[in-house]
Amino acid sequence: MNRFVAADPSKCIGCRTCEIACAMAHNGDGTPAPLSDENFKPRIRVIQTATITTAVMCHHCEDAPCLNSCPEGAIVYRNNSVQIDQERCVGCKNCMMSCPFGVMDVITVPAVREFAGVTMTTGVKAQAHKCDLCIDREAGQACVAACPTNALHVVDAESVEKSLADLREKTAISAIAV
Amino acid sequence: MEKHMSVCPYCGTGCKFNLLVEGEKIVGVEPLDGVTNEGRLCLKGHYGFDFVNDTKILTPRLMYPMYRRSRDKDFERITWDEAIKIAATKFSEIKEKYGPDAIMTTGSSRGCGNETNFVMQKFTRAAIGTNNVDNCARVCHAPSVAGLAVTLGNGAMSNSIQEIGDTECLLVFGYNVADSHPVIARRVIEAKEKGAKIIVCDPRKIETARLADLYLPLKNGSNMALVNAFANVLITEGLYDKEFVAKHTEGFDEYKKIVSKYTPEYVADITGLDPDDIREAMRIYAAAPTATILWGMGVTQWTMGVDVVKGLSGLALLTGNLGRPNVGVGPVRGQNNVQGSCDLGVLPNVFPGYQPVTDAKIRAKFAKRWGVKELPDKIGAMVTDVPHLVKEGKLKGYYIMGEDPAQTDPDLTAVRESLEGMEFVIVQDIFMTKTAMFADLVLPATSWGEHEGVFTAADRTFQRFEAAVPPKGECKHDWQIISEISTAMGYPMHYENTKEIWDELRELTPIYYGATYEKMEGLGYVQWPCTDLDDAHGTKYLYEGNKFQRPNGKGLLYACEWHPPMDQTDDDFPMVLCTVREVGHYSCRSMTGNCSALQTLADEPGFVTINPEDAKRLGIKDKELVYVSSRRGKIITRAKITERTNKGAVYMTYQWWIGACNELTGESFDPTSKTPEYKYSAVKLESIDDQVWAENHVQELYATLKGNLSGAVENASELRAPEHA
Repeated sequence: MNRFVAADPSKCIGCRTCEIACAMAHNGDGTPAPLSDENFKPRIRVIQTATITTAVMCHHCEDAPCLNSCPEGAIVYRNNSVQIDQERCVGCKNCMMSCPFGVMDVITVPAVREFAGVTMTTGVKAQAHKCDLCIDREAGQACVAACPTNALHVVDAESVEKSLADLREKTAISAIAV
Repeated sequence: MEKHMSVCPYCGTGCKFNLLVEGEKIVGVEPLDGVTNEGRLCLKGHYGFDFVNDTKILTPRLMYPMYRRSRDKDFERITWDEAIKIAATKFSEIKEKYGPDAIMTTGSSRGCGNETNFVMQKFTRAAIGTNNVDNCARVCHAPSVAGLAVTLGNGAMSNSIQEIGDTECLLVFGYNVADSHPVIARRVIEAKEKGAKIIVCDPRKIETARLADLYLPLKNGSNMALVNAFANVLITEGLYDKEFVAKHTEGFDEYKKIVSKYTPEYVADITGLDPDDIREAMRIYAAAPTATILWGMGVTQWTMGVDVVKGLSGLALLTGNLGRPNVGVGPVRGQNNVQGSCDLGVLPNVFPGYQPVTDAKIRAKFAKRWGVKELPDKIGAMVTDVPHLVKEGKLKGYYIMGEDPAQTDPDLTAVRESLEGMEFVIVQDIFMTKTAMFADLVLPATSWGEHEGVFTAADRTFQRFEAAVPPKGECKHDWQIISEISTAMGYPMHYENTKEIWDELRELTPIYYGATYEKMEGLGYVQWPCTDLDDAHGTKYLYEGNKFQRPNGKGLLYACEWHPPMDQTDDDFPMVLCTVREVGHYSCRSMTGNCSALQTLADEPGFVTINPEDAKRLGIKDKELVYVSSRRGKIITRAKITERTNKGAVYMTYQWWIGACNELTGESFDPTSKTPEYKYSAVKLESIDDQVWAENHVQELYATLKGNLSGAVENASELRAPEHA
């Protein structure tokens, strides 16, 4: 089963700490200095309506519409998650249109090429942009660690099995009670 | 990488973390398992440190003393020797000519620490000879301090932050815990998960209202009526603790008489609430084995602030929810050391430890220790008195340390006039603020992160913090600067370090005597009162054994009649403006506005939130720029349309320098605490047709403001030759 980060609306206070944590974790050395309007592109978003406050991000679907719709094969299953091979992304936005949760974005970043030992900027490069579960971050998911109210947690096969087992036990007990 | 233990410089939660330092630069934080935060931090704690590094995003750090020969001249850089000489000469002249009461000073509720506040009030009282010393608690929780001091005998939170998670009922009144104290919000959620009932009284649908078992969206300006109705229900339904009231309180008969009129039906029109909901709220509150009341600025920033605080403490007294664990009254302090600045006596009526200046014995004790013949016995002026005292010609000199009244005080036009009306103004800060632009002498102090000391968290918890990096430029510690000015004025003060100051404080203040530096080593902490050297952590909750700190040991039940707010809406100004706070910014924003992450999350001109129906009626679209005006001023800001804002009211956060809501607020004050009625100003909103022009206009205003602030510092970078008279 693919892992994903889930938010608990009964614990979320809408403070957006997770958005900064996400932007920092994917932004160079993780210190705040580089953050600006241009590069503030969190992959987790806090939503507030009249009655709900929560964070939304990629579900890492088992049969992912984004992956199925990608003509370039840039979206892959890796390490129990849905990941993007940015080298292959052409920015066609199929993934963005097909995502039922609105959590896939397509952004452009300055394209950089190395030539004869010199780094050059060559226009822009498209990137499919979504939660990658901080897969390259040793300390794990930055948003989960930073949340002041513990409203975020990783759902994986083990935690799902445990919560289902608990529910089944409850069901059994309540069946006896009836 | 070096690590230095610190306490967060923002809200009053008192979160502990390590500052991570590389090459004399703070590069990150690492949460610690402090007593109040238990390893958690909010966005300001995690990402609010880079202002120390002088990022110059909003305004530059002050690096050297600056002076201007006359008000029409630019600032010039001068040496410390000259700066100290000028400060001492000018203050001595004013004192000589007009008397000591013509000078006013401020302590600071922010990063300076308790020791600096001690030195400031000592300087004011012993060197200048006046009690004109105050701090910005005046504009926030002063009503809590004043109100609780009368009814219970102690102005602080009765119980501890960690107890909030274990209470069985929370009555949250005018307090947006999610935006004000995110790490305390975790405790509220914890309490809820353990089964606590939550009652929220707030006109705005704040985050806690979503969690509430019962949400009472009262009308803006009806607090006193609702609190009286709560008392009425407790009494008429016999829900109060008769034994507790008989044994441990006084004033019940008079109290009962006043609240008898305030039936839930009587207040239905005033509060806009269903009488059954008011009854239900008190049935829940009274039934809980342990219940805690939490409040914030929604209770205090009113002309009836002190009265409502007294009223809320009455509910706790009626139900016996005091003097034991997991109960009590909680005015949760907003700035990291606003509890500390009050504790240290930067208040016009008390010495450190709330020892009254009007008590001859107390005065004699301080006079003896400080080596002066006598200390002033007259209660001094409050910061909100400054505008009218200047007008009356009574105040001539102002020493503002670590505060920014030209951003945070009400009716900014009046504030600017008062600063201009002074003969001599010193601003001692870490940043070039809007207030510093009005100074004659600007003194650069070390920032949090560059000095050590003790802060007091909202729940009376003393915690030490360390210096992580060396001082920038020519910055000196606040307490050193004050000591040097004092010495030059003929009252020598000299301290080697903050511990020496702290020990002088302990000696003079029995309730802090047991709070030694040694006990506060590392993650150590002490909650005052702590009179005993053998007592490791001090007092977790006040009033044990139901002994209240009043002359006869009993709590006072107090009620008074409700009256409507002062500024009234009419056809010209039909809506109510209530000022609130931004979760990712802090106070006047000079610190968080210079933090790249926090500034990226939210920037000028801020927002005015408005209900969709009101927006539609006014032709205002979401995220468009609008004008907001009151009888006192007019500003431009951005509309944010949300159903969480109640109809007829708009809300603005007070952190913005362009969309500055305090251009609109007025000078109506609580008669006792002189706290302004920030929560109720009559305003009107107007849409702007040409949005392209408006966006450019905001950018121009912002660029000009930033240019003026950085220009004031940069243009003065060359050292001026000292004046030889």
